[in-house]
Amino acid sequence: MMSDCYAIRTEDLRRVFRAKRREAKKQKREVVALDGVSFSVGSGELFGVLGPNGAGKTTTIKILATLLSPTAGRAWVAGIDVAKDPKRVRRHIGMVSGGETSGYGLLTIEENLWMFSQFYGLDTRVARARIKELLEVVGLADRSRTKIYHLSTGMRQKMNFVRGFLTEPEILFLDEPTLGLDVQTAHTLRGFVSNWLAEHRDRTILLTTHAMHEADELCGRVAIIDKGRILACDAPATLKRELQRDAIFRLRIADLADARGVVGTSPDVTQFTQTASEAGVDVDAILTHDGALTQLLASVEAAGGRLLSLEKREPTLEDVFLHIVGHGFEDEIREGGSA
Amino acid sequence: MSAPSQWTVFWRTVVGRAYPRIIGAQREKSWVFFEIFLPLLQVTAYVYIYRAIQAPPEFIGFVVLGGAMSAYWLNVLWSMATQLYWEKETGNLELYIVAPTSRMAILLGMAMGGLFATTLRAVAVITIGTVLFHVSMSVSSVPALVGVFLTTLVALYGMGMLLSSLFLLFGREAWHLSNLLQEPVSLVSGFYFPVRALGQVVAAAASILPITLGLDAMRQLLFPAMLGKFRFLSPGVELAILVGLAILFLFLSHRALAFFEKLARRDGRLSVRGQ
Amino acid sequence: MAAWLGWQIESNWADPFVFAIYSLVKPLAGALILVFMYAVIAKDGLHSPLFPGVFVGNALFIYVPAVLAGISWTIIDDREHYGMLKYVYTAPVNVFAYLIGRGVAKAIVATVAVVIMLLLGTLALGVPVRLAGINWLFVAATLVLGSAMLSLFGILLGGVTMITARHNYGVGEAVAGGLYLLCGVVFPLDTLPAWLAATGRVIPISYWLEAFRRALLGHGTEAFASLSDGVLLAVIAGSTAVLAVLAVLGFRLAERRARAKGLLDMQTMY
Repeated sequence: MMSDCYAIRTEDLRRVFRAKRREAKKQKREVVALDGVSFSVGSGELFGVLGPNGAGKTTTIKILATLLSPTAGRAWVAGIDVAKDPKRVRRHIGMVSGGETSGYGLLTIEENLWMFSQFYGLDTRVARARIKELLEVVGLADRSRTKIYHLSTGMRQKMNFVRGFLTEPEILFLDEPTLGLDVQTAHTLRGFVSNWLAEHRDRTILLTTHAMHEADELCGRVAIIDKGRILACDAPATLKRELQRDAIFRLRIADLADARGVVGTSPDVTQFTQTASEAGVDVDAILTHDGALTQLLASVEAAGGRLLSLEKREPTLEDVFLHIVGHGFEDEIREGGSA
Repeated sequence: MSAPSQWTVFWRTVVGRAYPRIIGAQREKSWVFFEIFLPLLQVTAYVYIYRAIQAPPEFIGFVVLGGAMSAYWLNVLWSMATQLYWEKETGNLELYIVAPTSRMAILLGMAMGGLFATTLRAVAVITIGTVLFHVSMSVSSVPALVGVFLTTLVALYGMGMLLSSLFLLFGREAWHLSNLLQEPVSLVSGFYFPVRALGQVVAAAASILPITLGLDAMRQLLFPAMLGKFRFLSPGVELAILVGLAILFLFLSHRALAFFEKLARRDGRLSVRGQ
Repeated sequence: MAAWLGWQIESNWADPFVFAIYSLVKPLAGALILVFMYAVIAKDGLHSPLFPGVFVGNALFIYVPAVLAGISWTIIDDREHYGMLKYVYTAPVNVFAYLIGRGVAKAIVATVAVVIMLLLGTLALGVPVRLAGINWLFVAATLVLGSAMLSLFGILLGGVTMITARHNYGVGEAVAGGLYLLCGVVFPLDTLPAWLAATGRVIPISYWLEAFRRALLGHGTEAFASLSDGVLLAVIAGSTAVLAVLAVLGFRLAERRARAKGLLDMQTMY
């Protein structure tokens, strides 16, 4: 198998979680987290794995980062089989997860980062210089001597970012890295990722996220994953272009609590999602052609709904997901889920 | 810049992981009260039992030495055996696994850091206990005493490393397992009385715990007057067994760590918390 | 409700292994250390006149580390392991009742251990506990007062735990180790130097153990011979009341400090 030309490659990756015997009585015996996942990421790429909670994103990263064995299939990182030689893989990778609480609370930011750098054998002088530089970039320089149990979630995640990038890994896994962060911090960290990759063009990043705009902003290519299967894999622009022949509308409707009976039964609506609003309901619908809108609006009126606003939109990655999967992120409910 | 050698990574990891142990103890001075003063009171309680029943003075020395060595056992139980489980719960374990370093180096770092604070406690118990209770020791051979002491520690912390990987699999039960071992080991290892009192069979079985033979040998070397009457085996034999145990535990812990890491990767237990 | 919640968390009855550790293995091993010390060294071995009082004191003392460690560990476990302490404080839960609930569960498991120990002493080691002679009303009063007293000690210690780091050694067990000396559990209190014996006389646990010795053996120790049973109970009740004030004040003070310094969700493992 030639896999050396890729930074990351998976082939028909499958992972099944089996419940313990005593837990099996209460829940499903098996949860299929990955069901034949194949993709490849070239060196220097920022590749996104996009999907709702429980889709299999974290399971994919854990297998690639040697934390989890695949049940079947194969995966290579830096050309090395992750199942056969995890030790060698680890020399090439780094990992940052969202909501991470790693480190020791009694140590300062600087000390924690230095400690982790030692696990990579970094020379102390080099480590200290890089820590100083990176803390300045993420705006934590003035807190470098703060014990980490005093840090807010955002500051802690900035520190985690510095830890991940400190060793300048060849391949970096970012698992929902902006999870739970405020808009400003998430923006800072996304900027940090883009800049770092621009300065280190030979490095590769695999990012998992369920934030569509994050994937859209950062990733050169994305794989859309749902229920452990990859449904599409391409550049965001290409995926969106596929939808441009369709008509995508956002309707704000008053006096109608549930639009499913109206929108869902129309033969010209290929996909739609609805969210409740104060006035009634907001509907995002993909129509087969613009002309179908007249019929749809008539149906809404007939059902007692009152149109408050209408907007024709450019397709987003969310629409792509909706189009491919048949439901929005919000509708996704999965049982179990180590995935 | 060339990549550091595996040895460089190993030793830097040891120093890196020992650092929080040493600094943590310095940052939170309350450990002096909880880990030196209060345990010293407990040792004193055992001293007064012997005083109340008019035991020979050497027994006061036995208790003081037992109290000092018990610090290492407690450190192994609570800061080695259960540690990987705690590291998993706080999210550190994932990062240890992903790092290109040896897990043995991480455990060794924990052990070295733990040894530092524990040695302070052990020295405090020995010094204060000796002065307060007028314990008279006559060391028959300093090299033998140092050799037995160091070999005991290597074997004991090797056992701690082994327990650490075993307990990782037991998850939440690890805490209870450590609790399970605390008092029974104090009993069968003879922390407060010579292990021979338990009979040859129990003493032999308890010899799987390095602290049993280490304590017995050190007591013989420090209180030679009691040598004939209460010893279990001769110090030379005990030292030889301790060397064997040290090698065995280090070897087993290395194998167990690799085995359990593989098992945990298969079952997805390296990062599932609350288990 | 809060106490019930604490109870539910602590009482893992479904697991016989856990139950066996806390009710059998730990206390039995702890008590056997004492038995061996007497058996090996005391002139009359287990027939030493001191042994029955020491054995009963040691058996009843099982309650002390169980409750103290139970409550103080709750603070550390909820703060650093489950990250729940901050939620306990944001929920409409009475934190005292919650902690006492956790302590009571430990005390009930400890009761099994105490009963087993006393049976072992009576049936196998010749400790003269005579059921017919037991003043059950006195025992009940001592138990009720003792439960309150130990819970209050636990809460005081919980306050200390809230503002200190997690160390190797369990705080509850370390404090219990100190009390083991000061309360004359395993030797007559007067054996201690005068100043240490005086310290022991200020701690209500010393009186509580004395009450149990009298209830089960029909006689107590020299140190408290001058006190009648009624006075003994009054001293326990009075000191428990004082302890209640100290525990509530101490805990609230620690709580305030923890809030001010943001310690409710600190991670201090090292």
